[in-house]
Amino acid sequence: MYAPATGKAKPVEEEVITEENVFERPDETIGFFPGQVLKDGYVSTFILLACVVLSYAAPAPLTEPANTATVEYVPRPEWFFFFYEQMLMFFPGYALISFGAVVVPTIFIGLLFAVPWLDRSPQHYNAVSRPFASVIGILVVVVVVLNMLLAVSRIMNFPTA
Amino acid sequence: MIGRIKTQTVEASQFLVDWMEHRTGIVTMLEHFLYEPVPKRGAWLYTLGSAVLFTITLQFLTGILLLFYYAPTTDDAWNSVEYIMTDAYFGQLIRGIHYWSANFLMAFIGLHMGQVFFSGGYKSPRELNWIVGVILLLLVVGLSFTGYLLRWDQDGFWASVVGMKIGSYSPFVGGYVIHFLLGGDVVGPATLSRFFAIHVWLLPAMIAPLIGAHLFLLRRHGVFGSEFEYTDRIAKLHERQRLEEYARYEADEDEGEPYVGRRDRADREGYERDGE
Amino acid sequence: MAELQKDPITRSDFLGFGVMGAIVGAILTIPPAAFVLSPVIKTDLLGESDVGSGWVEVASVSEVSAEEPSHFKVEFPLEQVYGERAIQKKYPGSQKSDMKYKLDNAIWLSWKAPIKQQGRQGSTGDIVGKPERPAFLDQKSEGFTESERKEIMSRLNVLSNSCAHLGCPVRWFPHEQLFLCPCHGGMYDINGGWVGGPPPRGMYRYTEAEVRENGKLYVRHKYDIEPGLDKQQPYVV
Repeated sequence: MYAPATGKAKPVEEEVITEENVFERPDETIGFFPGQVLKDGYVSTFILLACVVLSYAAPAPLTEPANTATVEYVPRPEWFFFFYEQMLMFFPGYALISFGAVVVPTIFIGLLFAVPWLDRSPQHYNAVSRPFASVIGILVVVVVVLNMLLAVSRIMNFPTA
Repeated sequence: MIGRIKTQTVEASQFLVDWMEHRTGIVTMLEHFLYEPVPKRGAWLYTLGSAVLFTITLQFLTGILLLFYYAPTTDDAWNSVEYIMTDAYFGQLIRGIHYWSANFLMAFIGLHMGQVFFSGGYKSPRELNWIVGVILLLLVVGLSFTGYLLRWDQDGFWASVVGMKIGSYSPFVGGYVIHFLLGGDVVGPATLSRFFAIHVWLLPAMIAPLIGAHLFLLRRHGVFGSEFEYTDRIAKLHERQRLEEYARYEADEDEGEPYVGRRDRADREGYERDGE
Repeated sequence: MAELQKDPITRSDFLGFGVMGAIVGAILTIPPAAFVLSPVIKTDLLGESDVGSGWVEVASVSEVSAEEPSHFKVEFPLEQVYGERAIQKKYPGSQKSDMKYKLDNAIWLSWKAPIKQQGRQGSTGDIVGKPERPAFLDQKSEGFTESERKEIMSRLNVLSNSCAHLGCPVRWFPHEQLFLCPCHGGMYDINGGWVGGPPPRGMYRYTEAEVRENGKLYVRHKYDIEPGLDKQQPYVV
């Protein structure tokens, strides 16, 4: 038998909250429909409108056809690869190129997979009460952003002559 | 008259709904999907994930549309993209949505990941959902890498050359990696065919079921949200623990303070600070 | 819902699953893997190349500037996927079979500058003098004798424009008197030797190049790749 959810949480007073079940249900809930769906819809509509405006205001780029024998073209990655591309500059020579371009990112992705097991503080959920993980996370973000800025400044300052 | 039509319509639609429900169970399923309680306070924050879902849906839709005109050969690729941009009705819009929503997709994936990381949403029992998410991230990066070459213009071409040459520096398997990507030992028509196959079929076919798994796991364990969704419950927990502690302390007064593990105590002290 | 029915797996059931799994699994994994990896097998294990091995004309050596490197376009015949000769042999009359595929490469030619002081990879580049153009080139642009051709080849740098780092097209900056890579700042001198930046070596040189009596330079698609590092070829196109 299925009883439709009423959209309201059970009265909290009834249950004894222990460390195991404290995170079972949030204090306040809304039904997924219409509350969350409406907000998602607003965001999605905004994105779609932004895409439409941008596709006419700043059309998707198409530069000249691929010329494999060029000596004038300056290759640039997409913006989300800027930080990675900048990182490549810091690793010269055979050994370091493969280290910086392949080994380090592979290790980073491995660590990304292992995040749930690296940070096993079971109760301290929020960012403030597990400073180590948060600091690492912020450091990663800072490194990525700084590298992106470096790449942008390098691209802007490349000599044209 | 109008009243009768109204009644009949209601009856007919009720009959249709019941008919479908009896055969597919779709009404019950929809109620499950739609009326699940989700955290309330951070609802706007959790739209990041659905923004990712929406942009990736846009990718699928516009990607299918672009295939009506795109020709994956070195001779025609650029021309066909140019045709889409200039001659096809709304071609600029369709390709624009594909391009811009791809950019938004990358941005929203970063934000969504950050939100999950900093709120600790990957913790037990949601580890597997984090892992599926990381795989999805890698697949999307692969899609953006392979998609860039398809327009066969200078930007996409040279970025792909650099990307492939990076692959050739992989320890031990570098040569195999780059020859796999190139489809030979130099960039040429085979490379474009390969990137096309990977971009249009291989990675989307992998990404679609994983998106399903991501959503299934999300629904299975509920949206975690963030710790501030649980403030009252945590406060109640602390209150109860404190009262129990007092009670135990009073009962054991003669035997002195009962032993509490260091970690345990630290945790509780932490909680008391949080609760205040 | 009906109750679950968990029948025991008999020995023959197990065998059936095993045989079935082996047959279906083998058919659905081995051929697809070989199908997708055939370029890897052909290039890495059989040592085949998609680029024709014939000599290709570059330019007349007298066109190479005395002071600075000059770049030329070379067109190697390419036989990748649908450029296969077999198809062209099968239906020679069809229009499609005439389609030719070219591999365009930019090639930098410069006269060797004498190395005054040998540099060391990773710390300093060579210190070089002025490029030395053979004097007889002022008088004639073709009909060289055997010894003159030898001298030209010993004086000429035949360089690929693919950066030894990540394959970006390098270009000559006359002001700095250096080849610069626009991607990650690799620097090379006029001889293609390493000067600075992340590249692990100097520019790739064509190992098979010759000047013929008509005064033109011909090359084949072969580079000076250190043995053991043959995977990191200059993958320009």
